[in-house]
Amino acid sequence: MRTDLIPLELQVVSIVVLAIFLLWVVRLVRTQRLSLRDSLVWVLTTLLATVVALFPGILVRAAHLFGFQLASNALFGAAVLYLAVNVLVNTVASSQNAARIRRLAQECASLRAELEAERAGRRSQDELSPDDGTPDPKP
Amino acid sequence: MRVLAIVPAFNEERSIRSVVADLRRAAPAVDVCVVDDGSTDGTAEAARAAGVTLLSLPVNLGIGGAVQAGYRWARDRGYDVAVQVDGDGQHDVSFLPALIEEVAAGRADLVVGSRFSGPRVEGAFRSTWSRRAGIRYLSAVLRIRCGARVLDPTSGFRAAGRRTIELFARSYPPDYPEPESIAVAARAGLRIAELPVRMAERLHGESSIGLGRSFYYLVKVSMALVLLPTRLPPGEETA
Repeated sequence: MRTDLIPLELQVVSIVVLAIFLLWVVRLVRTQRLSLRDSLVWVLTTLLATVVALFPGILVRAAHLFGFQLASNALFGAAVLYLAVNVLVNTVASSQNAARIRRLAQECASLRAELEAERAGRRSQDELSPDDGTPDPKP
Repeated sequence: MRVLAIVPAFNEERSIRSVVADLRRAAPAVDVCVVDDGSTDGTAEAARAAGVTLLSLPVNLGIGGAVQAGYRWARDRGYDVAVQVDGDGQHDVSFLPALIEEVAAGRADLVVGSRFSGPRVEGAFRSTWSRRAGIRYLSAVLRIRCGARVLDPTSGFRAAGRRTIELFARSYPPDYPEPESIAVAARAGLRIAELPVRMAERLHGESSIGLGRSFYYLVKVSMALVLLPTRLPPGEETA
């Protein structure tokens, strides 16, 4: 496991940081602030990063394969791409949620109006008083 | 022939009563439906006191979501014609019967009340020079992109027939919806017409569109028009 590719200190620090991150994600899931489904992508990438931290040779070989001069450049490139994709996926989810909220709010308003009309109808029937002017929305 | 007036209102406590009263006077046979877009003032109470159907949105959705709530109500209640009239009192409702008639007679599926078609009306509000330039640009984009000839595409004073009600209930742009919704209607093969109307300057409150917003408006609507899907996806919109 020990290689000359990165200093031991850096290797230890990265593994500790990744472990903390993983524990944080697990905690979020257990306290139900993050759904298990949404946590999977974070758990898997953290595990992947841990593997790379344990065996930095993988990164060096991958960097050469794609023509990077330095493994660190490959790492930065991959990280930026990964984050960009993640943000885009989240934006899509948030757009979908906005459409759902819109639909729900509209449905809620329409149910409220129906309920009010129903109540107004019943009240005017009970009191045998003339209609208060609310038009009957039903055809 | 059942006609519904959709009146979107966001914090229009001071003008909603007079708008409703004007509507009743100009078109007594029309059912009025005020859509309160999560107002924080007394808009809902004022509308309730006026005795109209009140669609009270629990959260602020913006003009597109509010108007669509009205179109969904019109669709679910089987209305034949729906007219949109702003709750701020800018639209001169004496032109309403003409808009309704154009749709009711089957001459068009969507009629846009326009400040720029027909002879220039004395004293009518036609907006500032820069806004007119923006409107002319949108009009040109609409014509080139989907063949819709509308001189005042930003107008929110419109009448819609059955097919348009069905379409807008399903798919209506959430913000700055007017030009884009014309494009949606044109794409769906609906017939779009324009009639001259008069609009006034706002009585109360601020226009929701300042300088920075105007720029966003143009960019957003331009993008929307360029990216317009060729076909409407089946079912309800999802994003």
